Parts: sequence; C-alpha cells; structure tokens
Amino acid sequence: MSPLTYIFGWPILMALVLMAVPRENRSVFRWGAILATLGSLVLALFVFAKFEPINDLTSINHGYAFVQTAEWIPSLGISFHVGVDGVSMLLVLMAALVAFAAACCAGGIKAREKEFSILLLLMTGGILGAFMALDIFLMYFLHELALIPTFIMIGVWGRGENREFAAYKTTLYLSLGALLALVGLIMIYLHYETFNLPEIIHRVQSTQPDLMTTGQQGLIFALLMFGLGILVGLWPFHTWAPLAYGAAPTATAMMHAGVIKKFGLFMIIRVALPILPDGAQQWLPVLAWLCLGNLLYCGLVAMRQRDLNGLIGNSSVAHMGFVFLGIASMTLIGLTGAVMVMVAHGLLAALAFALSGHLHQQARTLDMDKLGGLLTVMPFWGTLLLMALLAGCGLPGFANFAGEITVFFGAWKTMPLITGIAAWAALVIGAVYMLRAARQLLHGPRADDAPHTEDIPGWHKLPFIILLGALLLFGFAPKLLTNKIETARESLEHVVEMYKRK
Amino acid sequence: MTDHELKLTLAMVVLFLPLLAAVGIGLGARRWRGLSAGLSLGATVIAFVCSLILFIKFHGAPADIVPATDAAFHGIQWLQLGDFSVDFAALIDPLSLLMMLIVTTVGTLVQIFSLAYMRTDAGYSRYFAGLSLFLFSMLGIVLASNLLLLFIFWELVGVSSYLLISHWFEKPAAADAGKKAFITNRIGDFGFLLGILLVWQLHGTLDIIELSNIGAVTTAAGLLIFCGAVGKSAQFPLHVWLPDAMEGPTPVSALIHAATMVAAGVYMLCKLFFLFTPDALVIISWIGGITALLAALMAIQQNDIKRILAYSTLSQLGYMVMAVGCAGPAASMFHLTTHAAFKALLFLGAGAVIYSCHHEQDIWKLGGLRKKLPLTYRAFVTGALALAGFPLMSGFFSKDAILAQAFMANQPLFYLGVAVALLTAFYMMRCVLVAFHGEPRGEAARDAHEAPGEMTGPLIFLSILSIGLGWHFFGLNDFLLNKNIWLGTTITGAVIPNEITHTAHLAAMISGTIASLAGLALGWVAYRGVKQDPLPGMLGALARGMRDKFYFDELYAWLNRWTQERLARYADCFDRWIIAGLGVRGSSGAVDLTGCLLRLVQSGNLQTYALLLALGLLVMLTFFLF
Repeated sequence: MSPLTYIFGWPILMALVLMAVPRENRSVFRWGAILATLGSLVLALFVFAKFEPINDLTSINHGYAFVQTAEWIPSLGISFHVGVDGVSMLLVLMAALVAFAAACCAGGIKAREKEFSILLLLMTGGILGAFMALDIFLMYFLHELALIPTFIMIGVWGRGENREFAAYKTTLYLSLGALLALVGLIMIYLHYETFNLPEIIHRVQSTQPDLMTTGQQGLIFALLMFGLGILVGLWPFHTWAPLAYGAAPTATAMMHAGVIKKFGLFMIIRVALPILPDGAQQWLPVLAWLCLGNLLYCGLVAMRQRDLNGLIGNSSVAHMGFVFLGIASMTLIGLTGAVMVMVAHGLLAALAFALSGHLHQQARTLDMDKLGGLLTVMPFWGTLLLMALLAGCGLPGFANFAGEITVFFGAWKTMPLITGIAAWAALVIGAVYMLRAARQLLHGPRADDAPHTEDIPGWHKLPFIILLGALLLFGFAPKLLTNKIETARESLEHVVEMYKRK
Repeated sequence: MTDHELKLTLAMVVLFLPLLAAVGIGLGARRWRGLSAGLSLGATVIAFVCSLILFIKFHGAPADIVPATDAAFHGIQWLQLGDFSVDFAALIDPLSLLMMLIVTTVGTLVQIFSLAYMRTDAGYSRYFAGLSLFLFSMLGIVLASNLLLLFIFWELVGVSSYLLISHWFEKPAAADAGKKAFITNRIGDFGFLLGILLVWQLHGTLDIIELSNIGAVTTAAGLLIFCGAVGKSAQFPLHVWLPDAMEGPTPVSALIHAATMVAAGVYMLCKLFFLFTPDALVIISWIGGITALLAALMAIQQNDIKRILAYSTLSQLGYMVMAVGCAGPAASMFHLTTHAAFKALLFLGAGAVIYSCHHEQDIWKLGGLRKKLPLTYRAFVTGALALAGFPLMSGFFSKDAILAQAFMANQPLFYLGVAVALLTAFYMMRCVLVAFHGEPRGEAARDAHEAPGEMTGPLIFLSILSIGLGWHFFGLNDFLLNKNIWLGTTITGAVIPNEITHTAHLAAMISGTIASLAGLALGWVAYRGVKQDPLPGMLGALARGMRDKFYFDELYAWLNRWTQERLARYADCFDRWIIAGLGVRGSSGAVDLTGCLLRLVQSGNLQTYALLLALGLLVMLTFFLF
C-alpha cells in the first residue's frame, strides 16, 4: 500500500475507533486526535523526504509518485486512485502540519469532546485525501467529508451570538459553491466518461479529436471557477468567510482557513486549468480583475475591522487574491507563486487563528478597542502575534513574501496594471491593517479594566512554534518549496502551453 | 586562501554574526542582560574588525582599487524558476567596503554608548536584539548583489527600524511613530518594487553587475527605483516619518535615523547610479534640493533637541540626494561618510544631555550645560561646527564637494544649497546657544552631571572623526573620486560622474565659507543670552509654519481620510449591507432553505453530510441517465 493511503486513512481510522470509546474518557479523545494527526504528519514528512522527481509524463503514472489504484465503483468509472506530484505533496505536508497544530489547539473544547475529536479527524483525513486523490469523484467526495464537519462544528461548538447565523450562511454559501463545482465536474465526466484525472488530462493534452468545444469548456470553466471560487472566498462571494471564522472554534478556523479553503484553488489548478484550456482563456481575464476585489476591496474592509477575527478573516480572504492572480497570470512563475502562497497562507492562517483563539480563551473578547498593551502581559503570545502580523503584510523572511513576490514576477509582464494595484494592496493596505492591529492589541498602555490574560503555558507553545518555524523555514529557503514544485514543472508547462496555444 | 575566498569569508562573517547574535538573544540569552549586550556588541566588534581588514586590504592605496567587475560571488540560490532566479550573493566593491566600515564603526560606538544609556531599561535584551537585527539587515543592503535581494534587506531594515522606534511601545507616541515610519516606508517600497519589476522586464536580469553592463534604459524605471530611496531616506514628500521616529531611544536615532539606515537610500542611488537617465537625475536633484530647503526651514523653529537634529538629518539627506542628481555620487558618498560621523556625534551628544537631564529634551528648559557637561559640550560643538560646514571641519569639505557639483550641473540648486548651508549654521548655533549657554532654565538642567565613560568615550572618538575625516590625510575624497569604483560608468552613453572643475571648486569654497560663517554669526546675534525665541515675533506666520512643519502631517492625514479611509468605509458598508444583505437575507427562497439547513446543522450529527452526499449522487445520476 502506498504511504499516502496511510496518511489520510490513519485519522479516519482513528475517528472510527474513537466512536466506540465511551464519552466519559475525555482525555482519550483529545490525545487520540493529537496522536492520529501526529501519525499523519510523520508520514507526510517521510513522503516529503522520500519524494523523488518524476518529470516523465509518459510514464505509467503520468508523473505522479506513490500511486495506488483500486476499483471502487467500476460501473460509474469511479476508482480509488491516489498519488502526489510536487504541488500536491506540498499541500499534503502543509495540511498535516496544520492538522497536528489544530489538534493540539483544540483544548478549549469543553463539551462533547468525543464528537469534536471525531469530526476533526474526519476533516483531517478528508482534506489530506482530497489533495492526493487522482480520481475526480474521490477528490470531491473527500473534500465534502472535510467540509461538512465545518458547518456542524461552527453550529455546535461555535462562539458568539452570531454562530447560528454564521453556520447557516456558511453552509448555504459553501454548499452552493460545491454544488456548482459538482455540476461542472459531472459535465466533464459525461464528456470523457471517466473520473480518472491523469487519463483525462492526457487525452486533452494529446489533443485527440474528442476535445470539448470552446463553448462547452467556457461553461464548465465558469461553473468550476465560480463554484470553487465561492469555496475560497472569491470576491464578491467572500462574505461568509469572516463571519464563519469569527464564530468557528479555534481548531475549525485553523483547519478551514488554513487547509480546506485551499482545496478550491487546488482543484482549479489541478482540474480546471489542464482539462479546460479554452475555457481558461475565456475566464482567466475575468478572474484577474476579480482578484483585485479580494486584494483591494477585502483589504480595505479589513482596515475597518474592530474585531481581531474579523481582521484575520478578511485579510485571509484578501490573501487569496495573490493565488488568483498567480493562476490568472498563466505563467510557470505565476503558478509556482500561487502554490507557494497557498502553502504559506495555510500555515499563517492557522497560526493567526490559533493565536486569536488563545486570546479569546483568555480575554473572552477579541474587540481591539477593549484590549491593549498585551505584549507586556503575554510576551510569547505577543511576539508570535507580531510576527504573524508582519508575515501577513509580506515581510521577507516569512514564506508569504516569497510566494507573493513570485506571483508578482509571474503576473507583471502580461498584467502590469493589475499587478501594480495588487502590489499597492500587498505593501501598503496590508501594512496599514496589520500594524493597526499590532498597535491596538500589543502596543500602548493597558486599560485599567482590561481582562486578565495569561501567556501560552509550557508545551502548549509547541503547535505555535511548529507553524511559525515552518513559515520561517520556507521564507528563508523558498527553494525547499520551489524544488518540489519544479518536479511538477513539466505538467505545469504543458498546461501553460495548452493555454497559449491559440 | 585566495583573495576572493578571503573576501567572501570575511563578508559572510560581517553579515551573519549580527544575525546570529539577534537569534541567540531571541532564543534564550535574553534572560541575562549582560550576555545579550555582550553577544550583540561582540558580534559588532568582530564585524567591525573584519570590515576594517577588508577595507584596508582591498581598498589599499586609492589608485589600487579592486576592479569592481570581478568582485561578485555567486552563492546560494535563494529562488530559481525558469528565467527568474535570485542568488544569495555578496557584491563587494569599494563602495560597499566603505559602507560596511561606516555601518560597523557607528554600530560599535552606538552599542558601547547604549550599555550605559539603556542600563535601567526593562527591555535591555530586546533592545540589543533589535540593534543586531538592524545591523544584519543594513549590511545585507550594503552587500546585496541583486535588486530583489536588496529589496528583501530593504524591508528587513524597515521592520527593524519599526521595532526599535516603538521600543517603548507602551508609550502611545512611540507606538504610533513606529507604525507611521513603517507604513510611509512601505509607500516608497511600493514604487521600488514596481521599479524592480520594470527593470526585470526591460533588462531581463536583476543582477547589479549585469545591469551595470547595460546601463540606463528608461527614465521611468530609474524614478520608480528612486521611490524606494525617497521612502527610506525620508525625502520630500515622504519625509514625515523621520521626525516622529525620534520617539525611539536616542542611540537608535544616532545609528538608524542619522548615520546608516536613512543613508541607505543615498547609498543605493550611488551604487545604482548607472540606472538613472539624465532626465531622472534632474528630478532626483530637485527632490533632494526641496527636501534640503524645507527641512532646514523647519529645523529653525523646533524646540526638541532631537527634533532639531532630525530635521537637520532630513536636510543633509536632501543634500546628498541633490548631489547624486547633479551627477556627483562621489560628493554624495563623501558627505554621507562625514555626516555619519558628525550626526552620530550630535545624536549621541544629545543622548548624553538627555541622560544627564532626566529625559528633558526641550532646549528652552535646558541651558547652562556648558559648565555642567564640559565634555559633552565640546563634543556637541564639534559636531555642530562640522555640520555647519565650519572651515576645515569634515563637513566643510564634503559640503563644498556637493556645492561644486551643483554649481556645474544646476545653478539654481547651487544657490539653494548655499542658502541651506546658511540656515544649517544658523539653527545649529541656535541649538548650541540655547541648550548649552546662558543660565539653567529648569530643574533638570540644574542638577545635570556628566555621563559615564561608556558614553563619553564614543563621543571623543566621533569628535576626532568629525574634525578630520575630510582632510586629505584620510584620503577619503581621493578614494571616492577614483572613477573605477563606480559601477557601469565605462559603458558607452552612460552618465559619467562629473569631475569638479577648478572654478566650481572655488565658487563652492568661497560661498560655502561665507554662508557658514554668516549663519553662525546671525545665530550668535539672534540667540545670545535670550530667554525666549525672538524669531516668532520677527517672522510671524512663517515661524508658525516652520514650527508646525508646514502642515504636511495634517495634509496627509486629511488626504488619507478622504481617500483610502473613505474607500475603506465605503467598502465596509457595501460589504455589510449590500453583498451580505442581498446574498443571504434578501431572497425569501434562501430563508426557507435556511430553516431547513439550520435544523440539520443544529442536530449535530452526520446526517447532514449523508443527505448532501445523497443529493449530490442524485444530481449525478440524473445527468448520467439523461
């Protein structure tokens, strides 16, 4: 069996085991979740280290490593088919890191630990699997497995008066997005009569006569772009995100903002771009302008937030604009940058929500007007938050900068105007809202009636250190990322060539 | 060991030791104050020694300069993607050697000074970590071999400056100042980044050596790159952050906001001199000239000793930028070097005053310090005379060089430069007379005592440099006038740095001397023995304008409120009421679905999922069968 199957099977198996454990054994659930995600993380690191470039698309596995296939529903052309290339490898590693950190940060859950742990593990297993699935149906199925727990977790364990509204709005938006994408995927299936992704891509790129017409491609691409775009928070379908993250429990916000949200982007890169080159040609210019909606508009909205989670939520939506820009540039550099931003943002969003979760647990509020001078009382937390905020405004040394600058270099030649506006959003607007948060929360005198807060104790620092360490590591040595992405270069280049063919 | 290996090794030691010190303090040494300071100071001293060895060995006699062209080392690849690659490599040419020496010298002196100045500070370790981080970033700028690497360190310098300005972050003014500095710098960096992208598009490379073989292509790229310098070197119209940055500890102001970081913009202009077309240079020279004049005017009516020095720094930076614009990078670097010495001296002198007078910074509440702090007084006067361009002081020679450049390139700027020289001498006289002469005007000044040796030592050392750096004996001017040290001036069509003619030299020397002496004399007449400032009475509204910095802060606050903040407010409202409202609350169909889904969600079981999956399958089957 491929180690990939273990990576995502292990948390799901643990979830099934935990179902049988009586709910009185509270610590079992917590430690079970930590253990299972740790197992996935160790395996993911192993695969990351072992991963060898296979830049030969003609090989039997179409350039994917650790491939495993099994029949699942042959009558519908659905199979169990997993494998990774450089791009998905990075996302799997990032997801495993975030999942472990999220499991460590789930300590604030004091009711129905059993269900929470089970849902968290299903979520982890689902999204890890979705990144390595090579069968479109399996990919979609596993993503749904990860997505559904989000709604439940917000509704049941969420915080604030808004949580029911947040849960329903999120459900509504994301289900709609997922359904739109599903319709698009089924249309692809109906044309190619298989869900086998490498096979479809191979057929598209060898330009066999059974290619879809440009009109068909345009329709399907639009369905995928907007459907998946809603899942990511593409402007103007983004308003669910800050609301959901404001209400979600810490671990859920970390997992969703960090990892699950990346699935929409991943699927655009993995499915929509290679299969629908003509559709991409029609719609990517639109996407390029919409990305400014994320970068500029959501950045401006973030400037107005008084609540830390609202700020992180909006900035996290804004950062998706870089990925959209990288995709819309349709250059090797831009796509590489997009993947780098996906990884960097996953780590950063998780770190930011973990930090805000700790603050909420301590102060019972995230209202920046009521807090201040926290750097003195919580030096560790404060230093980390400051670093997270600086990483968020694209400071070199953090992985985000490497990704963003790469996206700019990819997009500049074809879209100087859009890139210029994006650079303003990144350098200036980003700095304004991030430093405002630092000024409000960390600096300044402490209010007399400020709630009592305590720093992160002992080993609870571990998840924070892991996330920050990864951000710094990839920031100082972005080659660790680009080397892996480079191994998928040939398939990315194929995609770019197909796009530029006309 | 070959010369190249030696260079590389020493340069890497110089660059990375401060980073190691910062990391070491951050990871654990911060618990022991002495250890933190020792790590930081030790790293800087070693870096200084290495820089000195490098400079002596590879600069040698002025005529024996290491050819700039084969001095690049290709190190580790930071990023590589197709035709876009960024190497982590050090470009070691005579200019960077000089700059390394300046940075590490001032860095060492400032840290020795800080040992005493910050002794009682709770954030002692954090302070030294910040200084080390700054030195690492600054040396990175100095050594960067390509534009993106330069940009990376540029940003890191910005953040270390942010951390140090807001060192006393509990003080709202300090926290605000740090934020303002960072954001204003980011506006300049925005232009810088676009400039880098444009250069990459036009030239196909970011490597400085390769670029220098191509030369200037468009005015636009050069001006965009210049934006970076406008931010970092606080040129008009982005000059507003530097005076506020004085909220940081005074040694920080000496190191970062006088001698080194703010000079990074000028250094970059000099190093990338070949990137600027003659048109770009004209604009650059005027921006520099305007900054020099505006800031000198504002300095006249400031009452905070550090703010006077801050505006004077702005003004001198404007001078340097003006010199670059007048095709005189040599004069610019010359002034940068002497300025680093005498402005660091002035700031550390001010620091000694502030330390001795219980953090009193208002010169009108000081007075009479000449007798209480004789050593500090002498040092401060030395710095002030050097800054005022008093004959035979270091500032005299470098200011002459700039005026001579302006005389040849742009006559109006020459007269502007002379006027600024007069104003400079005037406000420095005012500062010295009010703060040090007369009778003490406040409690703090009355019980002042001379600062300890850690603080006076650096003052003495810097005084010597401030006096002598311009002398022929040091060879600094000859070193800079050697054409071989400038990148890219050998290619055809390049703008060659001007050679100063005899007439220009004479004109500059005479007018500079007269301006300096006249300014000092005017200051002596106006401020000798006064109890309050006579200028507001004489100048009226103009004096108010000078005191209130010509209302730039208010103008920018107003602009920001009416553009970006207003846009943000509209976006926020739109977000809340239109998109969110129509998207969900608006349609009744959605509300029905809401209730249904909400109930499912609240039940908290996995049926929701099963239902949705079933729904999905249903849709799929319909398609399939159809």
